[in-house]
Amino acid sequence: MNIFPKSIDAMEQALSASTLKQRVHSANIANVDTPNYKSKKVDFQAALDTAMNKQKLSSYKTDNRHLSFSNESSIGTTRVLTNNSTQYSNNGNNVDMDVEMAELAKNQLWYNAVTERVNGKLNSLSSVINGGR
Amino acid sequence: MSLFSGFNISASGLTANRLRMDVVSANIANANTNRAELVDGEWMPYRRKTVELSQSGSSPFANQLQSAIHRGDTAVTGVKVSEIKEDQTPFTLRYDPEHPDAGEDGYVRSSNVDPLKEMVDLMSATRSYEANVTALNASKSMFMKALEIGK
Repeated sequence: MNIFPKSIDAMEQALSASTLKQRVHSANIANVDTPNYKSKKVDFQAALDTAMNKQKLSSYKTDNRHLSFSNESSIGTTRVLTNNSTQYSNNGNNVDMDVEMAELAKNQLWYNAVTERVNGKLNSLSSVINGGR
Repeated sequence: MSLFSGFNISASGLTANRLRMDVVSANIANANTNRAELVDGEWMPYRRKTVELSQSGSSPFANQLQSAIHRGDTAVTGVKVSEIKEDQTPFTLRYDPEHPDAGEDGYVRSSNVDPLKEMVDLMSATRSYEANVTALNASKSMFMKALEIGK
């Protein structure tokens, strides 16, 4: 018997993906003046899908063009993607500060929301343990 | 603890931009320095210095190691100052035969610092510093929120 609800697992995954996202945006902001730096982003939706679906069998991919197993959602693990397609400044850098700041704020709110929900789950659990007292 | 490494990334950005500000300050302070270094018994004016940034841990080996550990994840690292370079643009010349540093032709060589460039660099460094502070504060508040789990 598992006393912790399954959704806590999913939320834990969401929190760690959000932490990774925070790191990636911090790195983009730190490298805003680095010549030839290309901005990175986390494939967040894929991470969330993985956490929600909890598929049994995932294929190990060494290249992102590899095909997935049929019962697997199209993308497996959390990935950090590099955006090589744009260039904003003359030194080859493509960090868009406005986007980075907006993503940072969004990520922070998302993280707070998920922590709030984890707390809610734990509170209802403790309410059950105490017999509703 | 990966949140703490986010702190380190922002801190590297703060350090790098602080150094950029220091170098700009040194350039402005030395804008009129005629005797900065002695080369072959002759005084040379101050040369403008510039900071070169690069992604930290960007050596090919470190990259390969990171991607091997994280199954193809691109390495997420901060920034580092790779070099402080000297600007090789020619010195400015000013006609002043009475000056003790004047050459045979009566021209005084003075430093190649352009205050306009320095101010632009200073503003850019300040803004980047502020952005890193914002990122650091965001990481900090997330960490504080995580500590509240289960309370």
